[in-house]
Amino acid sequence: MTDVHHIQVPLWYLPLLVLIPAAVAAGVVPWLGRRARTRVVPEKDPDWSIPPLADSHGQGISLIHRWDVRCKIVTMLAYSFAIASLRHLSAAAAALCVSLVVLLAAKVSFHKVLLRVFALAGFLGMLLVVMPLTVPVHPGDTILVFGSLDWLNVNLRGVVLAATIAAKAMAIALLMEPLLSTAPLPVTLHGLSRLGVPDMAGQMVLLSYRYLHVFTHEARRMTAGMQARGFEKKTNMATLRALANFLGMIFVRSFERTERVFDAMQARGYNGRFPDPGHLQIQWLDILQTGVWVAAGTALVLFDYVKV
Amino acid sequence: MHISDGVLPIAVTIGGYAVSAGIAAWSARRIHSRDLPKVAVVTSAFFVASLIHIPFGPTSAHLLLPGLAGALLGPAAFLSISLGLFLQSILFQFGGITALGANAVMMGVPAVICGWFFQYFKGRTKARQAFTGGLAGALGTFLSAVFLAGLLMTGGEDFFGVAKIALIAHVPVIVIEGVVSGFTIGFLARVKPALLQPVRSFHD
Repeated sequence: MTDVHHIQVPLWYLPLLVLIPAAVAAGVVPWLGRRARTRVVPEKDPDWSIPPLADSHGQGISLIHRWDVRCKIVTMLAYSFAIASLRHLSAAAAALCVSLVVLLAAKVSFHKVLLRVFALAGFLGMLLVVMPLTVPVHPGDTILVFGSLDWLNVNLRGVVLAATIAAKAMAIALLMEPLLSTAPLPVTLHGLSRLGVPDMAGQMVLLSYRYLHVFTHEARRMTAGMQARGFEKKTNMATLRALANFLGMIFVRSFERTERVFDAMQARGYNGRFPDPGHLQIQWLDILQTGVWVAAGTALVLFDYVKV
Repeated sequence: MHISDGVLPIAVTIGGYAVSAGIAAWSARRIHSRDLPKVAVVTSAFFVASLIHIPFGPTSAHLLLPGLAGALLGPAAFLSISLGLFLQSILFQFGGITALGANAVMMGVPAVICGWFFQYFKGRTKARQAFTGGLAGALGTFLSAVFLAGLLMTGGEDFFGVAKIALIAHVPVIVIEGVVSGFTIGFLARVKPALLQPVRSFHD
């Protein structure tokens, strides 16, 4: 285990092992991503419609829907940190399998899960390309050398490292939909505030989540106006200037809107609190479910720790 | 670029949460608690603005806006950016939930620094304000890229290559961000100069 293994591979393996998969990934993933987003705006821009958190899909069906929201948040966040601490590919892959099972059990919208996976694909794809080529060579590493291209050394340790990170990131990302969309956002935030997060933080999240939709709508109207006047995005100074004015206008309107929003809130008797969305009560089933998750997380960490 | 789950060492993610919670508390104390709902509303405007794509040759880049947020919001920018990142994470999965603290430090601290920079050097003329705004925009993105590289490097020497490439990939974004921020500040200086006063934006 002390010296570096070099594996000579014929040059024609290069397209087979690297180029074709990379091209397929680079072509198929964005295409699927575009397909997954329902297009609302007929333009070249990527459509960042704000996805709804917690639609009525499958409301109250699964065990996770019925789980007490405080137990759910604490358990799933702690479990996510446990996953993030794993160091071996096998443990990370096991975590990914657990997440997939949970995803099936939680009965959440498959479409929104796909959007999350595609959002991750860019960063993880970059790691998967860069790490095998840049990881420093340690004793015991295995390196693939393609024919006579001796500058192109693919370090298998880098591949494993990047794959571990990708599995961990996916395992956590797949849990986000069961965590967030199995209860309406106000209930989740109420749970957070009952856990000691300042009330104001939750209120700010609710407010900006609500106005996100307002400003998206406004930005879309302004874009339509610009297009009606013949604006087209190009790589030049005029485009940058037009877009900068566009941003400036969004900010001016938003600052003016804050005043009106605040006045309206005060007129309705806002005194620094929103009304509680409901009563929370922990039952035995909640604690049991938390216990199952803690056991799963501990098992994964132990498995990772024992494996040298 | 946001760091996803599973990249950073676990100690760095927890430390990131601790540091960002501390700075967020400081940031919240710098403004009147009555103004916090307003910060929330402005945050959604920044969120929407950061989704706009700027064409760059065959591809396109989206803005990060730490410089502009700092110039317009001052110390409240940290709160605003943490909130925006939380929303990006829970809505779009941009940036992992475990890395949220580290991401907030990476984007929020440069924003606050840029706010100071802008207020200190903005001068009185509109042209100088636009120029300083441009510098602040470029500085904000540059500092974020440096923080990003630094955070990646906490993962050990295996991540040095990734950190280097992340830095290089930010160079065009720094330029675009600087130019757009300069134009935006110039626009605001002409249209609504009150927004560029130090933290007075909420107190008129």
